[in-house]
Amino acid sequence: MRTGHFKESYGQLVALSDSRVTWSWAGFGIALLIALPLVAHNYLLTLMVAAMIAVVGAVGLNMLTGTTGLISLGQSGFLAVGAYTNAMLMMDYGWPVLLSLPAAGVVAALISLLVGVPSLRLKGLYLAITTLAFAFIVNHLILHNAWLTHGPNGIFVSGAKVLDLDIQRGRPLYYFVLAVTVLVILLALNLQRSRIGRAWMAIRDHDIAARVMGIDLVRYKLLAFMVSSFIVGIAGGLISLQIRFINIDVFALILSIEALAMIILGGLGSIAGAVLGAIFLSFLPEVIRYVFALFGDPNSTLYTSYVYEIRGIAYGIVIVLFLRFKPDGLIGLWRDARKYWSNWPLAY
Amino acid sequence: MRMRTLALSAALLASTAAFAADPGVTDTEIRIGDVNIMTGPASFIGRAVALGSKIAASEINANGGVNGRNIVIVTEDDGYVPSRSFQALTKLIEVDGIFALNGTSGTANVLAMMPLIEENNLPTVVTTAPNELIYNPVRPSVFTIGASYEDAFYGQLKYIHENLEPENAVYGVIRQEDDFGVTVEAGYDRAVRDFGLKDGIRLRYTRGTTNFATEVAQMNAAGVNVLANGAIIAGAANVLSEARKLGMEAQVASVWSENMPPSVNLSAPAGYDYLVGDYVALTGPAVDDFIERARQYVTEEELAGLNRYTYVTYIGLKVLAHAMEQCGQELTRECTVEQLRQTRDFDTQGLSGAISFDNDKQLSGTAIAVYQLNAADRTFKALTDFVEY
Repeated sequence: MRTGHFKESYGQLVALSDSRVTWSWAGFGIALLIALPLVAHNYLLTLMVAAMIAVVGAVGLNMLTGTTGLISLGQSGFLAVGAYTNAMLMMDYGWPVLLSLPAAGVVAALISLLVGVPSLRLKGLYLAITTLAFAFIVNHLILHNAWLTHGPNGIFVSGAKVLDLDIQRGRPLYYFVLAVTVLVILLALNLQRSRIGRAWMAIRDHDIAARVMGIDLVRYKLLAFMVSSFIVGIAGGLISLQIRFINIDVFALILSIEALAMIILGGLGSIAGAVLGAIFLSFLPEVIRYVFALFGDPNSTLYTSYVYEIRGIAYGIVIVLFLRFKPDGLIGLWRDARKYWSNWPLAY
Repeated sequence: MRMRTLALSAALLASTAAFAADPGVTDTEIRIGDVNIMTGPASFIGRAVALGSKIAASEINANGGVNGRNIVIVTEDDGYVPSRSFQALTKLIEVDGIFALNGTSGTANVLAMMPLIEENNLPTVVTTAPNELIYNPVRPSVFTIGASYEDAFYGQLKYIHENLEPENAVYGVIRQEDDFGVTVEAGYDRAVRDFGLKDGIRLRYTRGTTNFATEVAQMNAAGVNVLANGAIIAGAANVLSEARKLGMEAQVASVWSENMPPSVNLSAPAGYDYLVGDYVALTGPAVDDFIERARQYVTEEELAGLNRYTYVTYIGLKVLAHAMEQCGQELTRECTVEQLRQTRDFDTQGLSGAISFDNDKQLSGTAIAVYQLNAADRTFKALTDFVEY
């Protein structure tokens, strides 16, 4: 059992973790993810890609809502901005994906200033409504600027290559999205434990006290919007690469709600929580489908007539039960399990 | 001896390669996929589509299947979300191993599935979203049945202009702000130009709008008495309800979704005997005969959910089965696609015009018939036969 944290060099001080066990498990996890395509079915890989894109989006939103305490319902708008930027740069201007994808994040970050600046004095519900309005405005602008966005016709996205590999299909897509996901998580982890991350948390906990302590609220709130939107824009770009067709119907408002559900279910303010929440909600429909296949009777009228509604209800019930009995989210569940394991057979 | 063995093995290998079945085909069954709206507010459309597939498959199987193989329908829900359509089709192809795709949902949903359809050369019959974006550019394995909203509205407005036009007619259109709305307005625009109609007002609304009080007030102020109502279901009902509150007397042309029983139940109380243009039959001996045959394969509760989407999906699967039949025992996707391309004058037993895919757009069923609702008893009567516009 460890009894303290002793840092003897700068390298140890800035390391993400000082625990060999943590690094071993992280390495094992990454190795598993790298090896997965060798054994997994294509459909599982598709689900994994969708889950990893959800992780990227959830981590981005967590920086704004979980770490800085600024509620946002505009994620679907930032996803759309990122997706359309990536698609337009690739298909209309011939940019390579290694340039268009970061550009998607940059454009989303710049556009977030349009939301961030008017929202500086807003909090809670008022900020949520403002960001919601942004999502509607983005949809409207996409529809009415067909000369730039192709309007309601949408854009087919193809020809994304890295090292001559088509990264929009199969294993290359999986590995590309995995690499982006790992980079985003590392970025978020490092930001959170830096001066910027501490300032965000101070704003979240008590913004007036933070200001009194010398934290520039304007600067750090805008930075939170920009960094969050950059990451969500990247997620939008990845969506355009995976689905290979985008129009405004792909970015319905429900995506904003689902993103919030992911970070709340996972554990607000925690990057690990955002990752767990995104994976949980991405796979929940498949798990429910599997359970139904095991225990449902395909011959019963109730099953065949209402199986889709029942699955939808089950999806909602699982989320509600979780929030009722485990409000700390999945990361709270993990921490409780870890504490129990460490302390057993003692209670504390 | 060794050379002979080697030669025989090579010949055997080559022969198996030539006759290797495509996914979804076994000696006893052929798996056909559906990606539908099975949940959400529009699920009654998806259920009707699923019913069409079920009735067609049951009928085909009752008559010996396709060259002895039974049709098995595998349905996935996309909830009208394009990204879920992509995922659903991935599952159908990778896990369920479907041979072809019949039931689909909206235009964006079909377009989201298009890369997968093209990649797998999946024989696909699109019947519920006959948007030009689906068949232009034409995809080799995609065959579309259905007229455009443009033609449907043009046909209705033409009929109104020739037969029902009020005095001092002022025309107006209200349509959704998306690709669907663009085609509605295109039909309106064509009618205005062709017949020199007085264009009173053109209004657009965002998808999801449920209250049209402002829009209808604007139409009333413009003196509109012939309305091209491009709203759908609850929206269309609200437009008519608001018009009735203002005491507007008008001839109304509508989207074909307004001939479905749930839509009629919402809209009829406003008292407008509105028109719809559709590429499938809504009334008549063909529909009566279809319902009678369907009773053998579905429950009474399911029968109540039948609507135009059932008929179009039924036609789609029948055409697909016909093409598969022509391939005999060596059923492949390539052969099915080729047979679909050669389909000419396929008889739909009066449910629509004859189906022919031997054109450069692989498009058929574009003839429109105009019907009028009797709001009092909520029945439709045919005003025209199927006509190409």
